Amino acid sequence: MPEQTTTTPAAHPAPPPSGARPARASGRRPSAAGARNSLARLGPWPWIGPSVVLILMVVVWPVVEMVITSTHKISGLGIDFGSDGIGRYRKLFDDARLGPVMAWTVVWTVLVVTFTMVVSLALAQLYNQKFPGRRFTRWALIIPWASSVIVTSIGFRWMLDEVAGVLNRAMLDLGLIHSAENWTGDAAHAKPWLILVAVFVSLPFTTYTLLAGLQTVPGEVYEAARVDGAGKWQTYWRVTLPLLRPSFLVALVINLINVFNSFPVIWGMTQGGPNTDTSTSTVFMYILGQTDVGEAAAMSVVNFAVVIVMVLLFLKVSRWNEES
Amino acid sequence: MNKRLWIATATAATAALALTACGGSSSGSGSSADGTTTIKFVAADYGSNGQNPSQAYWDGVVQAFEQANPKVKVDLQVINWNDISAKLATMVQNKQYPDVVEGPGYASFAQNGLLYGANDVLDASVQSDLVPALAKAGQQNGTAYGIPFVSSSRAFLINNALWQKAGLPMSGSQAVAPKTWAEVETDAKALKAAGVQVPLGLPLGSEEAQAESFMWEMNNGGGYTDAAGKWTVNAPANVATFQQLGKWVDAGLTEKDPGSVKRTDLYADFASGKVGMLNGMPTQLDDIKKNNLQVTWAALPTAQAGGTPQTLGVGDWIYGFKPGGHAAQIKAFLNFAFQKDNQVKFDEEYNLLPVTKSAITQVQTDVPALVPFLNALPAAQFVPVANPAWDTVNAQVKTQIGGALKDPQGVLDTLQKAAATAGQ
Repeated sequence: MPEQTTTTPAAHPAPPPSGARPARASGRRPSAAGARNSLARLGPWPWIGPSVVLILMVVVWPVVEMVITSTHKISGLGIDFGSDGIGRYRKLFDDARLGPVMAWTVVWTVLVVTFTMVVSLALAQLYNQKFPGRRFTRWALIIPWASSVIVTSIGFRWMLDEVAGVLNRAMLDLGLIHSAENWTGDAAHAKPWLILVAVFVSLPFTTYTLLAGLQTVPGEVYEAARVDGAGKWQTYWRVTLPLLRPSFLVALVINLINVFNSFPVIWGMTQGGPNTDTSTSTVFMYILGQTDVGEAAAMSVVNFAVVIVMVLLFLKVSRWNEES
Repeated sequence: MNKRLWIATATAATAALALTACGGSSSGSGSSADGTTTIKFVAADYGSNGQNPSQAYWDGVVQAFEQANPKVKVDLQVINWNDISAKLATMVQNKQYPDVVEGPGYASFAQNGLLYGANDVLDASVQSDLVPALAKAGQQNGTAYGIPFVSSSRAFLINNALWQKAGLPMSGSQAVAPKTWAEVETDAKALKAAGVQVPLGLPLGSEEAQAESFMWEMNNGGGYTDAAGKWTVNAPANVATFQQLGKWVDAGLTEKDPGSVKRTDLYADFASGKVGMLNGMPTQLDDIKKNNLQVTWAALPTAQAGGTPQTLGVGDWIYGFKPGGHAAQIKAFLNFAFQKDNQVKFDEEYNLLPVTKSAITQVQTDVPALVPFLNALPAAQFVPVANPAWDTVNAQVKTQIGGALKDPQGVLDTLQKAAATAGQ
């Protein structure tokens, strides 16, 4: 990269990295060449600088603020009572609600990602076939992705409403239930619906990632499999899935992070309630913020640590992809 | 570390600082060279469904005020009720204090010395015009910090058409309202038998659960605090109240899961004729009129026969923040905002109750429908708004108390403990 920054058109085709040095002597006076040279001295920074500043400002700075906040005692109304050491973490880990919240977060992440991956594999396989109307159905799949997640969630919340919801009306009229249910009113009823909506909004991205992967599988390998007499399932397990591994892993890890961090589905449908019965750790953090900003920040730090682990996993997985 | 990296880091840091500084100064308020002072005013939005936003009301008031006081500019920000506490918390945490706030509670701010006393920011003549019960709720340790701006009280509300459909007694065009909880139960059963979807509305969801619980508790001799101000969240009377409410839920006399029912959603269901009875408030008057519903307003039913019906009073507060140092300008603005015409206009727009005696007289003649609520106001009970721990307790009660329908003792014990340790 440094070569590209020593920029007279007549520059030596391949100057050494320190190629800027000789020019410096003649650059004492503020001339155009001098300006170019001091620019050159900065190496790649003028080019990557803006993105570094951006990352510092929108990623690093908030993280630092978050960690500082988690060591302060700050009321729900924002009044800062000063440093509290690890007091907020202690309060968080003593909170009886934390255990069930973390357990549900794990169940939520695992179930949503599993269902999403399985259904997406099938959908991708379907969309990889030639059939009339394929273009239309491929477009249709984008809809849950194109519409805002919070809008989808609120739409579902009202379809499931006890008094005004269309689901109760339909089921009552069909004689499937005898009295209206509140489908988002308690954890047992709400959780399956939350998972369903989360899978619904995760399908488009995952399916398209897998579909792209399927399209890179060369036809010859299928031909070879056929010549070797492999059956349909055998071909799928031994040929398609292994070749799909790169896109499968990318989709898997991105989904893990997305679903773990997911806020709008749960907030739009149950606000994490009743109580904190349907809160994942991200929603719980928001609920904590209403009474204790410091404790909420401590929860964010814990969440952040989990995401970091997942990102490291992602990096490892992508290296594994490159190697194979 | 090499030189290039140093330069780059320094550049980045400088840029970051410069940008931060810009962000900080733009939202500040203060005096400019020509002698005008800008005060920052944050107000809650009372409009519903995007209708009649408070922005329009305050724009009018601010414009008239600025005309009368050319040396003062008001920087107005209207925030909806769901977000105002969080936004206010962010401002306070970042030390970008507003000068005047109209909306949520004042207690923690006052306790931490962030607020002007009412004497500094409101004329004595206006203060003496305030309804005493409300003015008293604005005091902390004997000093008034919170100034009531609007108020409201509650009454039991019945849908007459459903009442008749269930064959329940009428007296002329009005329903004969239940006086005791036993009668509530009998009436709810009759409504259920007649196919009413929600015989008794019980909005114990996170929107206003603290008010709904309090109304049932106070009519059973309970409440959040005792006379001395000590927390009594898990008092036997409150536990018994939730045991009774829980039985009604199990018997199918309410919604399936009142702990997830929002007040505004329930009011919408009432307006569409699906709810038999509930604890109502005057803001519903508009919807009732629009939907042409025949209704009966009555006193809240009591747990035992012969009890004196209690009702809930709610005040929204206006207060001045000290850090900006604009006491004189705030005083000028508040004196203006509390003028009778401005008060009356606001209250009639939103069917809320005035807080000054002079405005009450006016509203009584203008809006007869509000008279029962005005009459209930002087004896109404308030949640412990002056207690600085209330802000925290309030947030926890809102999300958790719905669980007390299933486990009264356990949930109320948890909340009592939270109240006792609030702020730690």
